[in-house]
Amino acid sequence: MSEYNKPLPLVTELSKHFYDGCKQGELLYQKCDDCGQIVFYPKELCPACMGRRLSWRKSNGKGKIYTFTVTYDAAPPEFATDVPYALALIDVDEGFRMMSNIVECDFDKLRCEMPVEVVFDQITPDIALPKFRPSEPDEQ
Amino acid sequence: MKSISGKTAIVGIGEVPTGHFPDRSFIKAAVDVCEMAITDAGIPKQDIDTVIPIGVVSNPLDNTNVICSWLVEELGLGKTAKSNFQVMSGGSSSANSLKVASALVAAGLSKAVLVVHCDRMGTGLDLSAAISMFSKASINQEYEMPYGFSQLALAGFLQQRYMYETGTTERQIASVVESLRKWAALNPNAMLRKPKTADEILQSKMISSPVRKKMMNILADGAAAFIVTSSEYARDLTDTPAYVLGIGSRCTSFTVTAQPHFDCWQPAVDGAYHMAGIGPGDIDVAEIYDAFPTFILISMELLGLCEKGKAGKFVEDGNTSPGGRLPVSTNGAMMAQGHTGAGGGMAILVEAARQIMGKAGERQVQNANIAIETASGGIGMDFHVGVLGKEGQ
Ligand SMILES: [Zn+2]
Repeated sequence: MSEYNKPLPLVTELSKHFYDGCKQGELLYQKCDDCGQIVFYPKELCPACMGRRLSWRKSNGKGKIYTFTVTYDAAPPEFATDVPYALALIDVDEGFRMMSNIVECDFDKLRCEMPVEVVFDQITPDIALPKFRPSEPDEQ
Repeated sequence: MKSISGKTAIVGIGEVPTGHFPDRSFIKAAVDVCEMAITDAGIPKQDIDTVIPIGVVSNPLDNTNVICSWLVEELGLGKTAKSNFQVMSGGSSSANSLKVASALVAAGLSKAVLVVHCDRMGTGLDLSAAISMFSKASINQEYEMPYGFSQLALAGFLQQRYMYETGTTERQIASVVESLRKWAALNPNAMLRKPKTADEILQSKMISSPVRKKMMNILADGAAAFIVTSSEYARDLTDTPAYVLGIGSRCTSFTVTAQPHFDCWQPAVDGAYHMAGIGPGDIDVAEIYDAFPTFILISMELLGLCEKGKAGKFVEDGNTSPGGRLPVSTNGAMMAQGHTGAGGGMAILVEAARQIMGKAGERQVQNANIAIETASGGIGMDFHVGVLGKEGQ
């Protein structure tokens, strides 16, 4: 594996748990045991009821593109050699939204509401980044 | 909530040209706009007892110094000033400062408040540092930054979804920039004064799809100031106060991921109209915070100035351009006047006051009795709406 020069996720107590899940091939999110709120990005407090009893659940890793963009120029400096690359906000089936890259895809075929599924990109020995690819074969 | 509608007013404004001015020092531009605002108001400077210097992004030392009363000393307010403190919420600092200044005056804690912004985003910060900053500022470091997100990509996200939902065309979106350039051509303080047609804008390079190069705001040096006092005192000072009729605000999230939908900002609009006791049909001129053209279209629809999904056509038909039915962003906004950091909203707010005061020169909108202005900070973290008018309490 060549040296990875792009920004790595800031590892905190909560994000470590999330990325440990990614390393195991699991996309994790939180659910509030008190009020049932789905919580993402991972948080200390339930933003709905302020409860602290947030338990971790495993997503099925499937969702739809809410919106996307393909960056061709003026990328953050560390990503300058990666252009073009696709960014998207993905509405994951369990009811949360996350940002990621769309990979293994013809960018011209990207569209809002397109079904996608998670794949894990092991960027360093410690970090696997969840990314998404089209989940319907004819769109890959 | 007890309304402050009509109880305060903007009585003086100042602004220097926006652009690339490597030889114009920070302090010169800052002091110049303060002096202009004081002269414009005709206010004895000892009545200014509060100074609010909005945050400086390009140089942390300048920022620290304005927090520590640099301008109080330069303006010779040291024997009369009570407070010097910062309001900082990125692009919405203007709106939050107007709110704080009005509240201080209405509560009797301040006689007159000077709000000032100065920054050197065009020449005080090199381009790579600026790109790097806008790929990190207000972006989540745990779950977003590793993907190469930036504020430009945000513009791509917004435009893509907006086009998907409304069927608005790229050409209609480009026509927003065309309209802004027409206004900027009439504004001696604007940076990009050369007209550009929608077709020319569509020919520019794709940056972060579907956003093209000429749909982007441009970083610039700039400075502006305004003075807020009570409506009672305003009438003694000037024949042309811009009364603060309504203020509405909504702060939603740090990350774009947590913004449910464009409609999340609607309460800010409703709040401002409610306080002012008016509706969209009463608006004579709209000064809308931009950064990117789609944000103007979304805002026009939130403000009720167009039906949902119809703003693009409205702009393409020329309604928002000089001579149009509803002038929008008559200074050219950040896409033509220039993006001065936290001052983007400041220029918009000052232009709204200028139109109400009847001081907009060649671009003066006839019978501008009520103006609406908006501002937003971060990655759409908040949305603010202000209503200014010629008649106060
Ligand atoms: Zn809860």
